Amino acid sequence: MTEFVVAEARAAAAPTSERLWRTWDTPPGIIGWFSAVNHRVVGLRFIVTALLFFLIGGLEALAMRTQLARPEAGLIPPELYNQIMTMHGTTMMFFFAVPVMEGLGIYFVPLMLGARDMPFPRMNALGYWIYVIAGVTLYWGFLTGQAPEAGWTAYPPLSQQEYLPGLGMDIWATAITFLEISALLAAVELVVLILKQRAPGMSVNRMPLFVWAILVMSFMIIFAMPAVMLGSVMLALDRLVDANFFDPSAGGHPLLFQHLFWFFGHPEVYIIFVPALGIVSSVLPAFVRREIVGYTALAVATVLIGFVSFGLWVHHMFTTGVPLLGAGFFAAASTIIAIPSGIQIFAWLATIWSARRIVWSTPLLFVIGFVILFTLGGITGVMVASVPLDWQVHDTYFVVAHFHYVLIGGAVFPLFAALYYWFPKVTGRMLDERLGKWNFWLMFIGFNIAFYPMHHLGFAGMPRRIYTYLPGTGWQDLNLLATIGAFLIALSAAFFLLNVVRSLRNGAVAGNNPWGAPTLEWATPSPPPPYNFAAIPSVRSRDPLWSQAELADAEPGAGDPPHPDAEPLVVELRDDRRETVGTSTLDGVPESRIVLTTPSLWPLLVALAIGLTFIGAMVTLWLVPVGAFLTFVGLAAWHWPSNRGYEL
Amino acid sequence: MSTTVIPAQALPVLLTGPKAPLWWAFVLLLGIESVVFGGLITSYFYLKQASSNWPPAGLDHPELLLPTLNTLVLIASSAAMFYGDRSIKRGSQTGLKIGQTTALVLALVFLTVKYIEYSGLPYDWSTHAYGSMVWTMSGFHAAHVMTVVLKGLVVEALVWKGYFTPQRRLGVQVNGLYWHFVVVVWIPLYFTIYWSPRLF
Ligand code: HEM
Ligand SMILES: [Cu+2]
Repeated sequence: MTEFVVAEARAAAAPTSERLWRTWDTPPGIIGWFSAVNHRVVGLRFIVTALLFFLIGGLEALAMRTQLARPEAGLIPPELYNQIMTMHGTTMMFFFAVPVMEGLGIYFVPLMLGARDMPFPRMNALGYWIYVIAGVTLYWGFLTGQAPEAGWTAYPPLSQQEYLPGLGMDIWATAITFLEISALLAAVELVVLILKQRAPGMSVNRMPLFVWAILVMSFMIIFAMPAVMLGSVMLALDRLVDANFFDPSAGGHPLLFQHLFWFFGHPEVYIIFVPALGIVSSVLPAFVRREIVGYTALAVATVLIGFVSFGLWVHHMFTTGVPLLGAGFFAAASTIIAIPSGIQIFAWLATIWSARRIVWSTPLLFVIGFVILFTLGGITGVMVASVPLDWQVHDTYFVVAHFHYVLIGGAVFPLFAALYYWFPKVTGRMLDERLGKWNFWLMFIGFNIAFYPMHHLGFAGMPRRIYTYLPGTGWQDLNLLATIGAFLIALSAAFFLLNVVRSLRNGAVAGNNPWGAPTLEWATPSPPPPYNFAAIPSVRSRDPLWSQAELADAEPGAGDPPHPDAEPLVVELRDDRRETVGTSTLDGVPESRIVLTTPSLWPLLVALAIGLTFIGAMVTLWLVPVGAFLTFVGLAAWHWPSNRGYEL
Repeated sequence: MSTTVIPAQALPVLLTGPKAPLWWAFVLLLGIESVVFGGLITSYFYLKQASSNWPPAGLDHPELLLPTLNTLVLIASSAAMFYGDRSIKRGSQTGLKIGQTTALVLALVFLTVKYIEYSGLPYDWSTHAYGSMVWTMSGFHAAHVMTVVLKGLVVEALVWKGYFTPQRRLGVQVNGLYWHFVVVVWIPLYFTIYWSPRLF
């Protein structure tokens, strides 16, 4: 069915673009499929795969909620519960939330920047294959009864060999280390893209706020992910070769793991949430028909959130006996993050307040749902930032309520806004509004029914990570309610799936710019041709499609002459090889042509070799040098200069 | 008003320097690596302050002479690398060959000495946390040296094919930068492992 839409788009493209199309097209057939490197192909694969993991993680959540619906339910035995809970947390955080945001960045940032592709397309593909291999490994373990069961945080000593023998924890530690390579690759690629490949004229202060957010997210990945890799490598070494990093009887210290984990773990939450902020700021203008209020404040606040979030990690460790003075510092720092977050909330409220006209479409509903839920989650966040309160509610359902308000309210709601908003760009079809409203209301109501009661359960003393509870505790009514809410969320997800399937079959045709939005991704056909833009657009304002007639009217690609009152800048590129424009870092002045790599199987092969290095380590350490050597051979072949004369 | 047209030929295809994407990717890669090495050193000192005997009782301070000489060998390899790059910039293929080959040989000497040094240690990573830390820091760094040696061999093959010219030397340059990084990052590791037990 997408085949069909693409064929339609190809017919619509002007004949002069035929050569461009051939240069940029992904080769056909199964080998072509595995060697695809174009950013939109890879980005979409990231998004779809991540949504699949969201579905799996959601099913695991339903299983847990079913078990907890009544006291002493015998559905899921304790060990299995621990496994499902660990898989749910791990799946949602590592395999859904971060990759889906990376996927949105990889797919949409080049379009928003007017670029034809990302700077290192093969590296993109490599990152995707690594992600898939890590996910398959983890779930292969789960399905063969070797699942991790120490929670998504994997604290030692519980995660050590003595307490959890078997392959489960080994798989967790290696899969997580391996997966983070994928996140790091995407991050490097996105930063370079944003710094070097913006449309001519797009100075940093004209970058869409979503691009700002992705830039901050990428920098955070670069500084945070190495810490968790270090932690999980040390854990793997402790387990596999009897190292002693976390063993106090041999001079190690279990808290070292917690520090490494949370130095990553706290920013992780913001790695998920910062792109969501960008989504909100980028979606809002189209539905209130005016530019965003406080662009500069929003951009600065995003950067501040990125910075401050690295100084908060100890608030996850208030109950571990850290010195009180230190705890006080981290408590104060944690409250400070409310300031940039507050700035954002008020800028959005002001934007909505001063709307020219409000278009009540599904994306806007999800944005408003986000503002409400995130505010609630933020308030409980400020509460648990205070040390004495944290001592009371630590490891209770209050915390479970808090982090689901921030994660679902703060990231999943904006994600759905993004899915409804950009679906037409990706597929050329609109999603249905009526089903969309069902989707939204069921999710909003279901979410609050599921998670609001958990605040009270926490105050009533219900610990998190328990597989059942006794009848006399008084927790059962609220637990039943929470389970009903979880099923409502599942129902809303079913509406979403139905909507997608129906739209792909016979949704309304979208056209270039169905929402009348101001940013560059809407200046090209839906779905865009493989080269994105036949003529690289040039930009003279923050909202180019609202202020530059030549972009709004013409379909770039049709080769129309520019509008007379505009002063566009045309950068010519060759159409017989993959080229895009390189611009200066701050002002967006064209300064080079960037020649991009072509489709290749090497990324997949190298990903398999790296996978062998990491995953083989669990079987026998001899596989590590073998895998490393194969990786090296693969990389050398990948980079070996051809006679094209521009590589190396 | 008119349209400004920049023809394709007017814009260069940049291969090096801060205008080229690869340069930025490389800087970010070094950033990531620095966080990892920084994390290792921080972990070392975290465990040290949490432990009452570090290095564990009965262990002498690490030997200084051999590692110090070996560190000098590593630094010398960086100088050779630099010489090779400068030579090809001026068009000297011979200089490039000498520089590249010397650097490779010195790096191999470094690895060999490291092997001798570590096979003589009275403890390994499973003896105590101190052992885990030292072996991991040295091992992780040695893995980097091996990587640059392997990469260096590929570049070496191209050197003998006469592939590089003053204009086309990005391969030499990038390989050299990474080489220098691997050398520079050894210095804080060296101080942590060999000097910090003596100093505090
Ligand atoms: C779709 C609806 C969801 C439901 C009904 C749900 C439900 C639950 C439940 C019942 C637990 C276990 C609490 C415990 O036993 O302590 C849990 C834990 C968790 N959830 Fe969710 N969840 C949902 C979505 C999400 C999402 C979208 C994320 C992240 C983006 C997420 C992240 C987590 C994490 C990190 C944990 C902690 C796991 C651990 O304790 O190690 N959840 N969730
Ligand atoms: Cu936190």
